[in-house]
Amino acid sequence: MKLKLNIWRQKNAKTDGKMTSYQLNHVEEDMSFLEMLDILNEDLILKGDDPVAFDHDCREGICGACSMTINGTPHGPEKETTTCQLHMRKFKDGQTINIEPFRAKAFPVIKDLVVDRNAFDRIMQKGGYISVRTGQAQDANNIPISKKNADLAMDAAACIGCGACVAACPNGAAMLFVSAKVNQFALLPQGQIERKERVIGMVNQMEAEGFGACTNHFECEAACPKSISVKFIAKLNTEYLKATLTKNSF
Amino acid sequence: MLSNFLKSTILSKILVAVTGLLLVLFIVGHTLGNLLVYLGPNAINTYALGLKKLGALLWVVRGGLIFAVLIHIIATIRLTLYNKTAKPINYTVTGYITSTFSSRTMAIAGLTILFFVIYHLLHFTLGVTNPEFMKLETNLHGENVHDVFTMMITGFRNPLVSGFYILAVSFLGLHLNHGVKSLFHTLGIAGPIFTPMIAKISTVFAIVICGALISIPISVMLRIVGGAI
Repeated sequence: MKLKLNIWRQKNAKTDGKMTSYQLNHVEEDMSFLEMLDILNEDLILKGDDPVAFDHDCREGICGACSMTINGTPHGPEKETTTCQLHMRKFKDGQTINIEPFRAKAFPVIKDLVVDRNAFDRIMQKGGYISVRTGQAQDANNIPISKKNADLAMDAAACIGCGACVAACPNGAAMLFVSAKVNQFALLPQGQIERKERVIGMVNQMEAEGFGACTNHFECEAACPKSISVKFIAKLNTEYLKATLTKNSF
Repeated sequence: MLSNFLKSTILSKILVAVTGLLLVLFIVGHTLGNLLVYLGPNAINTYALGLKKLGALLWVVRGGLIFAVLIHIIATIRLTLYNKTAKPINYTVTGYITSTFSSRTMAIAGLTILFFVIYHLLHFTLGVTNPEFMKLETNLHGENVHDVFTMMITGFRNPLVSGFYILAVSFLGLHLNHGVKSLFHTLGIAGPIFTPMIAKISTVFAIVICGALISIPISVMLRIVGGAI
């Protein structure tokens, strides 16, 4: 298939970028989206041009490294799919594809399609962990946990931290990410000790990083490759309210 | 306490949701009251007189509403400006999936409603734009009372007034369509059955409120109501 690609090219974090057009004439429909970009980059290297920089790692849809917005949708048109697992058969011959980096103030562009997502790591450092000793593997089964909570916690823990929720949100909000990380612990007994400090710390860091506020568009859930539900955002709101109201310094 | 709430985006949103809920309750009451115009002069004039006779209680409710409106506006303006800075560059091609025209126009709809409410109060409540409205009197069961019926009919006979009313109420419909479902989600009431259900209920609610309110100026202009005036 033949494709016209409009790709955001930006030399580094300090320079301005612009959309640049490329023509690819021999794209196989069985290629993954990233393999298609690999082909483009091989062409660019042969011509002596700078290849398009993009993040990728496992190429199995589990690491959350690949991050690009395809025709306005993070990770592209296929539901519950990361860019690396998106295949070219989802596009039409002769189609124009716009490829841009994840857009948000808290995700500054480093080069081309690569953005700095360290803000997520700094949020995790404020409470995305437990400090209690959980023992050996068999000890996990000694603590009774309701099926409902176990399932919900697992649903939240499916988040791979790719940042598509932020990229899809018209407000650049990280509420889906933070709500998943807060709730995966808040729903389990092991997460109770730091429960209040966790939600306050992570939400405050989220705001300090410059992520926006949720206005319930639910674009995050639609873009999420792991289909994390927005119900976790609703739970985060009450979790944060309860923690703030019962905190001594409020 | 209030400033602590306004400093946090989540707590600000909770303020927006709670004040929004109060304003939704007001709009339901106001719509039901206004629909009395269809029952003739005595019905709506009796209702207006009843409200006036509440005396101090009416002012408590009005004070609460003004407070709710102020908090709603301050919090949403702050959040809207904050959100604009969080997404400085948008995509060249936008690929919205679940957001709606309603959800993306909350701020502009809200501001239109605000300007309309200010005019509406100057027009019908305070009598600033039309002082003659405040002097209209009628005899209700032997008592001289404010003739709200004639005021509404005369007011809505002006196509410009009715036009602005219809435009603002249409924006109110858009605002309610997203606002009602949104407030439940912000207050933590959500789930796989509830969330899609409340979205549908919000849309029906917005259409019903919008339709009921818009029907009044249209009926007045078509002389279905108050044809004799």
